Amino acid sequence: MKSPAALDQLIDALRCLPGVGPKSATRMAYHLLQRDRKGANGLAVALDTALQVIGHCTLCNNFSEQPICSLCTSEQRDATTLCVVEMPTDLMMLEQTRSYKGMYFVLMGRLSPLDGIGPKEIHLDRLIKRAQDGVVNEVILATNYTSEGEATAHYVSELIKVRGLKVSRIARGLPMGGEIEYVDSGTLAQALLERKNIT
Amino acid sequence: MSSLTTKRVTSQAIRRIDNQPVYVLHTYPFKETSLVVELFSKDFGRVAAVAKGARRPRSAMRGMLQSFQTLSGAWSGKNELRTLHSLDWSAGLLLLQGEAMMCGFYLNELLLRLLPREDAHEDLFDYYTQTLQTLMTAKELANTLRKFELTMLQEMGYAVPLTHDENDLEIDPELTYCYEADYGAKLSGTSLGTHQNGVQLLGKTMVDMAQGDYRSARTQSQSKQLMRYLLAHYLGDKPLHTRQLLIDLQRF
Repeated sequence: MKSPAALDQLIDALRCLPGVGPKSATRMAYHLLQRDRKGANGLAVALDTALQVIGHCTLCNNFSEQPICSLCTSEQRDATTLCVVEMPTDLMMLEQTRSYKGMYFVLMGRLSPLDGIGPKEIHLDRLIKRAQDGVVNEVILATNYTSEGEATAHYVSELIKVRGLKVSRIARGLPMGGEIEYVDSGTLAQALLERKNIT
Repeated sequence: MSSLTTKRVTSQAIRRIDNQPVYVLHTYPFKETSLVVELFSKDFGRVAAVAKGARRPRSAMRGMLQSFQTLSGAWSGKNELRTLHSLDWSAGLLLLQGEAMMCGFYLNELLLRLLPREDAHEDLFDYYTQTLQTLMTAKELANTLRKFELTMLQEMGYAVPLTHDENDLEIDPELTYCYEADYGAKLSGTSLGTHQNGVQLLGKTMVDMAQGDYRSARTQSQSKQLMRYLLAHYLGDKPLHTRQLLIDLQRF
């Protein structure tokens, strides 16, 4: 039996979601059409609106409804520090610490040589322009401590340093309340290598 | 030859592998929370395995799945995609930084592109380890890469004759040769037109390369040209991402 063309189209469209193959896509499509038409409508409207309204903030590159997001326009923030993160979720985590009051730049990715993700894809040109606005005097690199994140941090730092700005990298080591007995060897080795003097 | 065949047979028959020295070459997201890990192992060559749940926040394997670290791995399965059970810290920390790290990515990309799966190359594994350690010192990066490229091609069975020319005559350091992949060196100027491709280079470059001596500036630049040409020949028309990335980064 051949299924209606619109159903096939829906199944195909759902497969664009990460981790969704033909099987799950079919299940989702049937569920939406059979059991939750209201939900399906809500999803369609929400998707449509989001696509029309949400763009990238011209300053921090995060998702935003306005050309400049509320965080970047806020008077309360310290405009002299700029924190570079990989993803919007990283920004959220940093915000949750409530210990950083500066500005952000979201790369929306990381340099990944083996996946072919280069400087264009992570908007390095915009980051450099942003850092050189005359107000920023320190760039904090808060990319992940993975090899890709480290590579990104290295190249960003080189590009920022030659432009005469201060660059720093977030520290790594034992977690809060971390007990040496239970910490993984990699972290412990790093913590030893990057130990700091007690003054 | 026979030892290689037996090794391949046993690798098919044994279901579970433990305590195998490995490096992580690359990882790809797989399903909702898992990763496909491309490993380079000492006794089994390049192996692909699924690390189940490795993308969960509290996964024990998550922190271990880092490139350029000597790990010991355990996996099982007989399909092309194995199941990775564990990865453990096995040697001290290898810290690649900055440009050296990019060189490390380059090595990994070469291995991913050229090394067939499940083909054991113990010597190449040891040479990879040694190369990473040399890269860690961050000195003579380019020469280290040249040596690795050459060793890799030779280990994988591609002939890269450097001591004798096409007619089995010893290479004269003073003369200019034309080097063509799969054929070797030919005195430049003799019977022009038969070889359209190839790289022009001085005999001394080949002699130096054969001896692993990259001190001369001309040897450095000519060996780079030769290796680039040879790699392009064996890689096919898809360029290396790492090289493109470095070119792109230089524009800033």
